[in-house]
Amino acid sequence: MSQAVKPAQGRTSTPLAGLMPDATKIHRLSALLTLLLLIAGFSLASQAFFSVNNGLTILLQTSVIGLLGIGMTMVIITGGIDLSVGSVLALSGVATAMTVKAGLPVAPAMAIGVVVGAACGAVNGLVVTRLKIPPFVATLGMMLMARGLALQLTGAAPISQLGEAFGRLGNGALFRVVEMQPNGFPKVIFPGIPYPAILLLLVAIAAAYMLSRRQIGRHIYATGSHQEAARLSGVRVDQVKLYAYVMSGALAGLAGNVLMSRLVTAQPSEGVMYELDAIAAAVIGGASLSGGVGTVSGTMIGAFIIGILRNGLNMAGVSAFIQQIVIGAVVIGAVWIDQIRNRP
Amino acid sequence: MNALVPLMCRPNTAERQLMSQTPLVEMTGIEKHFGGVRAVDRVSLDLYPGEVVGVLGHNGAGKSCLMRILAGAMTPSAGEIRVNGQTVSFEDPNDARDAGIETIYQTLALADHLDAPSNLFLGRELKTRFGNLDDARMLEESRKVLARLNPNFKNLSDPVSSLSGGQRQVIAIARAIYFDTRVLIMDEPTAALGPSETAMVADLIRQLQAEGIGILLVSHDMHDVFDLCDRIVVMNKGRLVGAHGIDEVTKDDVLSLIVKGELPTDWSARNLEVAQ
Repeated sequence: MSQAVKPAQGRTSTPLAGLMPDATKIHRLSALLTLLLLIAGFSLASQAFFSVNNGLTILLQTSVIGLLGIGMTMVIITGGIDLSVGSVLALSGVATAMTVKAGLPVAPAMAIGVVVGAACGAVNGLVVTRLKIPPFVATLGMMLMARGLALQLTGAAPISQLGEAFGRLGNGALFRVVEMQPNGFPKVIFPGIPYPAILLLLVAIAAAYMLSRRQIGRHIYATGSHQEAARLSGVRVDQVKLYAYVMSGALAGLAGNVLMSRLVTAQPSEGVMYELDAIAAAVIGGASLSGGVGTVSGTMIGAFIIGILRNGLNMAGVSAFIQQIVIGAVVIGAVWIDQIRNRP
Repeated sequence: MNALVPLMCRPNTAERQLMSQTPLVEMTGIEKHFGGVRAVDRVSLDLYPGEVVGVLGHNGAGKSCLMRILAGAMTPSAGEIRVNGQTVSFEDPNDARDAGIETIYQTLALADHLDAPSNLFLGRELKTRFGNLDDARMLEESRKVLARLNPNFKNLSDPVSSLSGGQRQVIAIARAIYFDTRVLIMDEPTAALGPSETAMVADLIRQLQAEGIGILLVSHDMHDVFDLCDRIVVMNKGRLVGAHGIDEVTKDDVLSLIVKGELPTDWSARNLEVAQ
């Protein structure tokens, strides 16, 4: 027994647990280290990178990917995948904007947007569990249908002039300090913590609590770990999967509201390829595409790695095309590490 | 006369029926069809408290199918199941568990990424007042029940994928006996075990039997079967081809039932021969 070598630790480790401290923790630690290295590297490369303003910009930019990534993490832990989140994000944003245009106040309109997202997720979940269609195909279908519906409803034209209230969620900030200058212009002393970042934090805490402390969370891990074993143990795996897809859809709807609110325009063509960023965030953060493994905190680190990569490369003047190459390589690297980790 | 002495200690089925009138489980005319294939064909089976019934047959004879039906993992095409005289219909494994029927699957049915307590309480998690998972209490309870089965079981917070076959088996057994169990289905419980662990399982079966739990033991190991069972039922090509008290048959008789689906032509009950 290699008991002495192994420090007391939680539930998630791998067959190497006896030899190494904890492979999952190592993975998360390496992701965190990568994040810090990125911050250090970009700070050296560009003066403007390491500033309060840019930090808040990154928070704002990452919040959408973060929200999508949390939902994606739940689905990936069950052993599935959700390719539809980018399209559902667009459809939900459009639904919110159309309800606002129809005269409803912003808050209930946004609730309707989230419900539309959850409904898309429910369709995904039912297609996966009832029709027994593999998640990849089921959500690929939803990706096309949700995008098509968003474009059809709007005639492919953006919905604008949604009013100031619509933009508050995406552009507002807590603790913003503004001082009036003698010349009559306002001067922003502290730009404040953007609402989307606060929203992301709250959702992340709620999701992490749900996954680690609630029965449904335990069942999500069990379903992804060994579906038949979970079923025989009395876990209602179909309901668990449905729950995960509905959460993913609802969070995509929420992310859609945040994004459209930031633009104060509902763009039916927004969010293309966002699903890939969300998957990348989850995988970089240690979620295993074969199911049973993944954490919200890991996905948050993954989301910030992608966000900071994008932002830092932009600041350094690297073209958007090169950025794609870099992020693609990072994803392959992360999955490679996952493979090494799972090798017996 | 000497040969009769051990048999006297073990009441036969008729005596058992007198001792307690209603069987724990009564399966009548159970059928399961897959397309045109009859995996289980009009099988009837009963089980009384404190009885160990061996379920034997080739691979594909339908015994696992029958056990899965009783465990609620599969719904029968036809037939009736009664538990304590009450007709039941199991839609999923939870229904069977609620009726006190627990199953130890040959595959063990463990979630590899979760630790021992999570697996032990999977689907029946202990919760705090606020509905949160009570991991501390689940760990404590697991420690108790696992120590009873294997005193050397210490690494409870490791994922079960990192445990040995014996330890995994112990978790599967612990999960089946921790809760209020009245009927235990054991599908090849000793297939993955070494000699000392096999002996432990045999002791456990006798102990549970003494507590009045009815056990259905699916096994290929003739030694185990003759050592532990009060009765055997043999399945062949989906049909029940024999149901005998263990004292009526020899190993050769049982093999004949398993392979040919019938007793040797010159068969007569072994215990009666002895008595003569």
